[in-house]
Amino acid sequence: MASRASSSVTPLPSPLTKGGPGGGPGGVAPSPLTKGGLRGVSVGPQDPGHLKETHQFSRREILGVGGALLLGGGIAAGLRWAGTDEGGQRADVFIGKAASYDTDLTAIIRDGLSTLGIGRNQIRGKRILLKPNLVETATGHAHINTHPAVVVAAAEVFRRFDAADVFVAEGQGHRRDSILVLDESGMGRALSEAKLRFVDLNHDDVESVAKPTNWTNLETLYLPKTVLAADWVVSMPKMKTHHWAGVTCSMKNFFGVMPGIVYGWPKNVLHYAGIPESILDINAAVRPAFSIVDGIVGMEGDGPIMGTPKHVGAIVIGRNLPAVDATCVRLMELNPYGIPYLQKASGNLGPIHEANIAQRGEPIATLRTRFQMIDAPHLRAAASA
Amino acid sequence: MLIGVRAGFNRAAFPDDSRSMRGAWIDTAWQRLVEARNPDGGWGYTAAHASAAEPTAWASLALSAQGVAQEHRRSGLGFLANVQRPDGGVPAVDIQSPPSWTTALAMLAWRLAPPQRDTHREQIALGASWLLSHAGKAVPFNPTIYGHDTSLIGWSWVEGTHSWVEPTAYALLALDAAGYHDHPRVVEGRKLLLNRMIPGGGWNYGNARMFGAALRPFPGTTGVALLALRDHPADSGIEQSLEFLSRELPGVRSPLSLSWGIMALTAWNRRPADADAWLSETFDRSAGESCNPLHESLLLLASLDACPLPINGKSAEVLHG
Repeated sequence: MASRASSSVTPLPSPLTKGGPGGGPGGVAPSPLTKGGLRGVSVGPQDPGHLKETHQFSRREILGVGGALLLGGGIAAGLRWAGTDEGGQRADVFIGKAASYDTDLTAIIRDGLSTLGIGRNQIRGKRILLKPNLVETATGHAHINTHPAVVVAAAEVFRRFDAADVFVAEGQGHRRDSILVLDESGMGRALSEAKLRFVDLNHDDVESVAKPTNWTNLETLYLPKTVLAADWVVSMPKMKTHHWAGVTCSMKNFFGVMPGIVYGWPKNVLHYAGIPESILDINAAVRPAFSIVDGIVGMEGDGPIMGTPKHVGAIVIGRNLPAVDATCVRLMELNPYGIPYLQKASGNLGPIHEANIAQRGEPIATLRTRFQMIDAPHLRAAASA
Repeated sequence: MLIGVRAGFNRAAFPDDSRSMRGAWIDTAWQRLVEARNPDGGWGYTAAHASAAEPTAWASLALSAQGVAQEHRRSGLGFLANVQRPDGGVPAVDIQSPPSWTTALAMLAWRLAPPQRDTHREQIALGASWLLSHAGKAVPFNPTIYGHDTSLIGWSWVEGTHSWVEPTAYALLALDAAGYHDHPRVVEGRKLLLNRMIPGGGWNYGNARMFGAALRPFPGTTGVALLALRDHPADSGIEQSLEFLSRELPGVRSPLSLSWGIMALTAWNRRPADADAWLSETFDRSAGESCNPLHESLLLLASLDACPLPINGKSAEVLHG
């Protein structure tokens, strides 16, 4: 995959970034961003939880017509729109129809894996880490989190395929108390009944990992040893809108492997480093093997926490996470080219162009349904499907 | 690792008559804690993990409060002193570029846990110097996005990022214990915590509203914030926050949230009548697992009749009669 050098951003004065504490002029990165205009909206690099860069794509760019386009300067210097070919990258994504959580999800997931060429031969003997999205829980708001039934079903499939070990792990970003999160989400009871252990990644022993890519100016990444020891890390997100990133799905889900004792609650240093950029660096480092998306009931509106339930009836499965997420965005009737992390992933970590993704199982057209987003300038490109 | 009460152990008397044991689980808990100590003198986040500042600080405080033999307290305090950097920061984990939000917790342990009061005066002073010279970042305010005053300065999780509830509350507790109750940074830190209160009471990690929507409070961070604010007048926001805890805690059986919540209610003289039973049930949930020093330390501290963290030199009874 292509490695992107950091652009002309002064390192933030964080011990986790190049330059270390006290580096840079008061820690203010000389962002080229301005409000509105061709650069899209930004409220500055200091703003917690906000994008460092957006780009208002022209209609031509959104339609993917024409060759590579050099985007604007600053953070995006050197970023090339991969065009429709996306460097020859191709991926298969499976969509399974699941009307409810009472559907035989084990069969759907097994069929999805089988369709994608995954069976006992690929799974036997592997240590499988299932990573759901439990960012924040609230009793009576099950649509915030990956449903326990999907996680248990996936575990069952991997166990039947003779995985050496299957377990669940999460480092939720808002609530530090894993036990309360497991209680409120119902995940704790489901895992206990299925005899699946849970690992709290937020408080795990950590190890420094050299970044394969340089989308951010984070000097290194610190990953939990549990993640590094797994053979397969499987993203199991919830299909949701996100009031900063546009959507949160397979790739954004990996903010939740970054240990809170290093990155905090919330993991604000990743916001300062740039949400889309952090998503890419983390995914490149974690190298997830698979994604199984809970799109039976997702979230629209003010995601990832305060939105409302949105029924889709889909389980989306794939080995290439940008392709999976682009498929999910199409199911949500949103614009994948308006999602900054997908723009950047295109042709780097995987394909997002529909022509480069082989859609298996249910066609998108039979399940897609429009997800509402909050009305914010930085989300309008994503909403413009 | 051996789990269970050792017969015939002769435990030292509690140093403070206001504290008392409640429940048989307490003996088991501090025994597990003692046995979970690592050879380097510290405690990890679980019994199998490398030593880290946060569980070590709380284990030292919990063992001190339970009157356990001094060697265990000393070892934890010594570990914290060993990892403190020359600039006074106490790193959260042993990595090349660690955050140091745990400096405040180490200061609390040095101040409150040692057998002799001024044993770690130098470490405390260095830690205070570090805390007072580090601050969370302000950001430009955007009323369509944020529901709090983004210019107020508290403390962050990672240097160079925004201020959040938990690190700010820890810093306030530590600086207060070290004699900085009226320092301008501490005054502003309290102001920040009050500003981050969610409409209707309680705190989450530190965003009260986002894009116009009031977010939901968490019992754990509400407890931590209320502890840090416990000499604040009991205005309507504080009352609503205390009521939130009183409503939530009966259904909470997780060590972190329950412990912080009970300590806060105890500090505000609202200790629930069933607190001891809840703590016992919560401990029993994990009795078959290996020791989690952070969880079990906080449970032990929450078992005390009085809040173990004085504020401005005063106990809870003096503050809220």
